[in-house]
Amino acid sequence: MGVAVGSPQQGALGGTQAHAKDGSAGFALAKLEELVNWGRANSVWPLTFGLACCAIEQISAAASRFDIARFGSEVFRASPRQADLLIVSGRVSNKMAPVIKRIYDQMSDPKWVIAMGDCASCGGPFNNYAIVQGVDKMLPVDVYVPGCPPRPEALFYAIDKLREKIKAEEKLGVRE
Amino acid sequence: MTEKIIEKLTAKFPAALKDHSEFRGDTTLKIDAEQLRDVASFLESDEDAQYNLLVDIYGTDRLNLGQTPRFAVNYELYSIPKNSFIRLIVDVPDPGRNGGTDGSGRFGEPLPKVASVTDIWPTANWLERETYDLMGIEFENHPWMHRIMMPDNWVGHPLRKDYPLGGEPVYFEKDRNNPRFAHLGKQIMAGPSFETELPEEMDTNGHMVLNLGPHHPATHGVLRLATELDGEKVVRVTPELGYLHSGFEKTGENKRYEKFIPYCDRMDYVSPMNNNLAYVMAVEKLMDVDIPEHVQYVRVILAELQRIASHMIWLGTHAMDVGGTPHAAPLYCFMMRERILDIFEMVCGARMTTSYFSVGGLRWPLPGAFMDAVRAFLKEFAGYYHDYHVMLTKNPLWLSRLKGIGILKAEEAIALGITGPLLRAAGVPLDLRKVRPYCVYDQFDFEVPTSTDADSYARYTVRMEELHQSMRIIEQAIDQIKPGPYRTADRKVALPPRQEISTSMESLIHHFKLVTEGYLPPEGQVYSIGENPKGWLGFGLISDGTAKPYRLRVRGPSFVNLQATNTMARGGFISDLITIIGSIDIVLGEVDR
Ligand code: SF4
Repeated sequence: MGVAVGSPQQGALGGTQAHAKDGSAGFALAKLEELVNWGRANSVWPLTFGLACCAIEQISAAASRFDIARFGSEVFRASPRQADLLIVSGRVSNKMAPVIKRIYDQMSDPKWVIAMGDCASCGGPFNNYAIVQGVDKMLPVDVYVPGCPPRPEALFYAIDKLREKIKAEEKLGVRE
Repeated sequence: MTEKIIEKLTAKFPAALKDHSEFRGDTTLKIDAEQLRDVASFLESDEDAQYNLLVDIYGTDRLNLGQTPRFAVNYELYSIPKNSFIRLIVDVPDPGRNGGTDGSGRFGEPLPKVASVTDIWPTANWLERETYDLMGIEFENHPWMHRIMMPDNWVGHPLRKDYPLGGEPVYFEKDRNNPRFAHLGKQIMAGPSFETELPEEMDTNGHMVLNLGPHHPATHGVLRLATELDGEKVVRVTPELGYLHSGFEKTGENKRYEKFIPYCDRMDYVSPMNNNLAYVMAVEKLMDVDIPEHVQYVRVILAELQRIASHMIWLGTHAMDVGGTPHAAPLYCFMMRERILDIFEMVCGARMTTSYFSVGGLRWPLPGAFMDAVRAFLKEFAGYYHDYHVMLTKNPLWLSRLKGIGILKAEEAIALGITGPLLRAAGVPLDLRKVRPYCVYDQFDFEVPTSTDADSYARYTVRMEELHQSMRIIEQAIDQIKPGPYRTADRKVALPPRQEISTSMESLIHHFKLVTEGYLPPEGQVYSIGENPKGWLGFGLISDGTAKPYRLRVRGPSFVNLQATNTMARGGFISDLITIIGSIDIVLGEVDR
């Protein structure tokens, strides 16, 4: 579904370098799909949302040493309406499960989910009455991050994987 | 001291005291259920006893012990003036078909009943609700007997022995359409969970009820505060917990003693070292193990480093919530925390979930660079500590948002069972490291900071001073520490060294037994407390002589401290509620357990 057509050799956003310094606005040619995906992939805004221990590593990832801003995801949004990414960082209890489902439903499309840590991925060490054995019972999960807790670098790797995934999305990411 | 109390008790209530015993320094009194309230008020008010701090209430289900009656309730009491602990055990009469109850249990089954002590020690309120929720023991004349952890529509009481651990069988199978997976996801309870009942006295018509959480950035996790508002003023706050209830106690009862150590990391996940320490101390008390001095010093150093790290999280998030210095303070605080995590990583390979202490010692020896790393950290931290003061202590925004906010007076705090910096900020110098030194805390020269203002600012100054005292303790500890064995020579709990296994048959047997069976503590009951950054972390263990604890009880300091929210926030502004939550310093993993 190409809308603007770039020259075949240049590919997405190819035209910009030629006019870098001469003061003119230059031009950019890309397939709409690629352009949109490029924009989305580089500004994934996560929801300010934490559940358990993994949430502390998520905060560490946002703090100065690891600095999630390097990946365009430093804008943590407290409102689900403004967030693209739900990082489920921790164990999901039976009491919390419906709440998470509702938060996910409140997020506007397109939206992605990272299951951070063993608990969110599969229940982790808590195979018992209280904990839901993996958040994928309720939500579609895009990337799973193993670890208990995963280090901030692991979260970055997941975000990187997610960006690859977003860049490859078709039909502007509309899901049936 | 306890003999005198027992004497007095027998003289006053001849029929009440059924039995008393001593085990590992814990005194246990068996009290008749009928006279529980009389005995309780006597112990609370008598001038020789003055058991004014109710530490913990927990139930025991003795189904598999073959004792009758099936249920018992344990009360752990502490007397601040007399510095003494005592435990009351009350056998709860079985609810016969006609006797004891009218048969109107909430799920069709009659619940055993015992009198509530909420009017004697107000802190009993939540503890009794928790016992009701998880153990199914009802407390008569409780102000609001209601589930606290599980959803309202939950069926059954998870900590009972006939309630299964639950969970799902683990299959290694790729095919998602396999019929064996059909049951997955069925365990989620139907219906939205936030339609939990509110207390009846909440005026939902005349006032506005605002729900803060369970997903709110300022509640420090998944906590819901149902706040009744009259304009901007808070009339009443009802915290609703359990959104992170993970069944720690039940899990612990299904694991061997040593296998619970990694779980304690995940309770108060910003101070895992302290949790590990409190837990291994409890098991060591039960097993009566002697710990080498070197180990004690290492434990103190790591526990105090962890205290600093935990206070860093408190300071950073608190400053961010209150907005004194948006974003700068948390980043400065997390920077120093990262330095400590680096030291932990060097010691045990993990940043957060350390599990470094084991029963009888340490998991492995300290790395050689440890002491230098700690020294370098102390040097760097001293500079940052100064910066925190410069940033906040006289900051007018900070002052105006903290001074006079969230007053919690000493009497109220004691009645509510508050411990830790909150209690010390109210002027009670209660620090377990000082009054009942464990490890080698009696070897160090340090002070217990207190304040009498009892407001959020007092809590801030107390915690800041605690940071300073922790630095002092660490400094002294690294000067005094001597090399030595990193775990006890007691082969009942500690694995023999590798080379010994290949040369000595006896060691091989010990090794085999420890690995396959675990250690077998004697029958008995102990309760052990550690002074955590947030207050008293208590572990209760009941052993039936097997390798798994028969009953494992965790008293989370955050859980008990959180109960003071209503007292502190009542009558204040809604925005001050945020300050108050920050100044209590809660971790939801420990609140809900
Ligand atoms: S995966 Fe581990 S660290 Fe993360 S929430 Fe679960 S228990 Fe905590």
